[in-house]
Amino acid sequence: MEVEVVPVQGELNVGPQHPGSGHMRILVKLNGDIVEDCELDVGYVHRAVEKLGENRNYMHLIPLVERPAILDSIHMNMGYVMAVEKILNVDVPERALYLRSFAAEVNRIASHLYGLGILGIFIGHSTAFMWGFGDREVWLQILEALTGARVTNSYIIPGGVRRDLTPSIIEMTKKAIVYMRKKLKDWEKIFLKNPTIMDRLQNVGVMTREQAIEWGAVGPNLRASGVNFDVRKAEPYAAYSKLDFEIPVYKEGDGYARTLVRFEEMEQSMRILEQIIKDIPEGPILADRFLKQIPPIRMKKWVQGQGRIVLPGYYASFRPPRGEAAARVEASRGELFYYVVSDGSPKPYRLRMITPSYRAIYVFKNLCKGARYADIVSIYGSLDYFPPEADR
Amino acid sequence: MSQTTVQKPIDKILAELKAKGIIAKAESESRGSLEVTKDKIIEIAKIMKELGFDHVIAVTGIDFPEQQKIQVIYHVSSYSVEDLQKIIFAIKTYVDYKDPSLPSLTQIWGSAWTGEKETYEMLGVRFEGHPQLSRLFLPEDFEGVYPLRKDFKIKLEGLFVDKPG
Amino acid sequence: MIGNLLSLIRFYFFYPSFFVVIIFPGLLFTGILLLTTIWFERKAAARVQMRVGPYYASKKLGGYLQLIADALKFVFSEVIIPAGVNETLFVIAPILLLLVSILPFAVIPVSVIPQSGSVFSIYYHDFYDPNVGYGVLAGIFTCYNLLLILALESIYPIFVIFLAWVTNNRFAIVGAVRETFLSVSYDALILIATLSVAIEYHTLDLAVIVQKGIPGVIVNPIAAFIFIVGMLIGSSRFPFDIVEAETELVIGPYTEYSGFLFVLTMAGSYVGNFIYSLVFADLFLGGWYPFSGLPGAAFMTFKAVLLLFFSVFLRSVYGRYRIDQALRGSWKYLFPLSLISLITGTLVGYLWL
Repeated sequence: MEVEVVPVQGELNVGPQHPGSGHMRILVKLNGDIVEDCELDVGYVHRAVEKLGENRNYMHLIPLVERPAILDSIHMNMGYVMAVEKILNVDVPERALYLRSFAAEVNRIASHLYGLGILGIFIGHSTAFMWGFGDREVWLQILEALTGARVTNSYIIPGGVRRDLTPSIIEMTKKAIVYMRKKLKDWEKIFLKNPTIMDRLQNVGVMTREQAIEWGAVGPNLRASGVNFDVRKAEPYAAYSKLDFEIPVYKEGDGYARTLVRFEEMEQSMRILEQIIKDIPEGPILADRFLKQIPPIRMKKWVQGQGRIVLPGYYASFRPPRGEAAARVEASRGELFYYVVSDGSPKPYRLRMITPSYRAIYVFKNLCKGARYADIVSIYGSLDYFPPEADR
Repeated sequence: MSQTTVQKPIDKILAELKAKGIIAKAESESRGSLEVTKDKIIEIAKIMKELGFDHVIAVTGIDFPEQQKIQVIYHVSSYSVEDLQKIIFAIKTYVDYKDPSLPSLTQIWGSAWTGEKETYEMLGVRFEGHPQLSRLFLPEDFEGVYPLRKDFKIKLEGLFVDKPG
Repeated sequence: MIGNLLSLIRFYFFYPSFFVVIIFPGLLFTGILLLTTIWFERKAAARVQMRVGPYYASKKLGGYLQLIADALKFVFSEVIIPAGVNETLFVIAPILLLLVSILPFAVIPVSVIPQSGSVFSIYYHDFYDPNVGYGVLAGIFTCYNLLLILALESIYPIFVIFLAWVTNNRFAIVGAVRETFLSVSYDALILIATLSVAIEYHTLDLAVIVQKGIPGVIVNPIAAFIFIVGMLIGSSRFPFDIVEAETELVIGPYTEYSGFLFVLTMAGSYVGNFIYSLVFADLFLGGWYPFSGLPGAAFMTFKAVLLLFFSVFLRSVYGRYRIDQALRGSWKYLFPLSLISLITGTLVGYLWL
């Protein structure tokens, strides 16, 4: 039965001062309840990371490239360091690779809970919002024990990682996994099987397989449209080639499928964490080439005493050889791509950073055409679009 | 002939490109690149799309002020062809300072939309045929000023740098 | 002398028109109930959402005084009037809104007055209702009070649209258009549900319906269900929070209001909800039967308050529907159901009651 909700015509400015727009402006041309055209005005939090990248040393850039998406900072860190390692031609020891995967998966669960919380509040479901942020605490405390900071960790350095895993962190992770599995059942009952949520998300913002490939979608948005692509399987990095996990793929391509993909990815991440805890090998956490340069007194006190790396002097302003490298990782929101060009000086010649939300700008703009006005926030939340990450 | 070793996907791509008269090189098992001038770029893009590369990851512009050129690189990859999923191919081309315009590739790959807009506003390279070439990230008072060019200096405070060694 | 003065005060204090409309369950009681309802809403939602809710303002009372602090803060906040609006109308509109939603208190019967034994018995003959056989504790005694209440409650959406138009804000207009569409649908549902009960009991007087002794929910449960859903749509409770959808419309028609006027607009929807709950308690839950006098009034108000708390609790469970889904649901599924309840009511009325 067709319901016609007619005429309020004109332009609505869902602007930056709006509870449902995030850090950007959406100019909506309305005809009744249907959106005829939608213009995204991004750039309100543009911080010029790429320009600053040409004015900082390679090590000084590590805290800078983490900041665009602070809740996903392990991945942003890891992509950049992988590109720099390709230029420097450094091999990373086994234990460091496993530790990188450990931190990355914990961060993936925290970031998905944030995304689900934001989706919930945009649809009006305040319980999902509070639960998302409350459950995220558990994982942020693990990250704080491991790296020293809850967000913007700066954990990964060229050659390895900064701190080692202790038995108390392993205990915390095991308890967190048990707690999260119990809580996910509650989430399913109140959020996924809730008739209002299903009505708001099903058949909203449908993206077919051809459209997803043509518009360049990434991450869970791509996998919910039927494309089986995950960088962890296509081009494995950091111990993923030795771990056993699955990638959830759905065919419908609507908002509900995207939410289900995120749910299942959380369960798969917990599986990976259990395997890492069991299989992690012993060994050094930094490549030998850099470990040898730490002075012996500090080596004994910090590295062997407490399992922490003090940065060797080489790091301060090293000059990598000429060259270029392109590296990519699978961040929580999709594929994160770094391209670094070096000309032999201590500062990069060009740093290019393509974040998953940057690639979702075109997808968002196309999906909003022809949708109803109330669907804009629903599409926004289900795409998990994060404006600071897109603007960098 | 290679009967005992399996031909890697990147080598297959290089061979097919060579058959059409295009020279490309492989930097590793999953990275390749080719250089092209700007009048041939649409042709090459169509050939790459037929080979299976179906989306653009990034459009990068690099400024070389001594040579008065801007290098524009398209990184493309593939979602639908399994073998090619791990390959990132770089299509490199040059434009001059005196005539900074390139034909736009949005007709062939829709996913180049955002990248071309950003390269236009940060470096001043015009893409002919782009449906909506306008300002994306920068505020209104940046008309005519291109921040990512090397002659746009940003004010830095003094840095404290450790002497190496 | 003093005894004379005291008995004079007592006569006027307990006069039902004054007592019901101003003291209980009228203005004062509704004011306190409003604060308690919002306190309950925040506390219950907090318990579900793994947090504490209002806590520090008065730890022993569970944070109840937090609401009084909030109300005082709003009273002293600055009222910002945008340029380009008609200032008189801007200030009058929320006052009219609250006025219209409080009016039905004048006619709702809350209890019966027995001939002797209650503090109200002196007014027995003034408020005598021949159909019931007792006096009726109501503000103004009429025997068509059901019709009057429904009529008064259905003018409420007009004032919401008036309020949104006066503020000259695009988001308010979108909210007002949504209110227009919804008001037609929920009004139809509530009217048909109550009319089916009225036909069943052969009367339009709430006091007669209650004194029959059989609660409406037993003889016509479909009408009870329709009435509850219509009530939820009408007072913008979740999942039908569409008019005030915060993440889409920045609180809809009430966007430009601040300070004391904002409190008045918010109060309007809660008071409407309370009125509907009182009517529901009378029609379907048996009202004050078998008590009479003051205990009867307390019993009936207690049932209405329970229903109010239930409809406010739904905030922590449901999301928000889209407007076309709500409209489609009410016209395609609920409206035929209400017609079925009308037929049921007619049949049961003529065969049994």
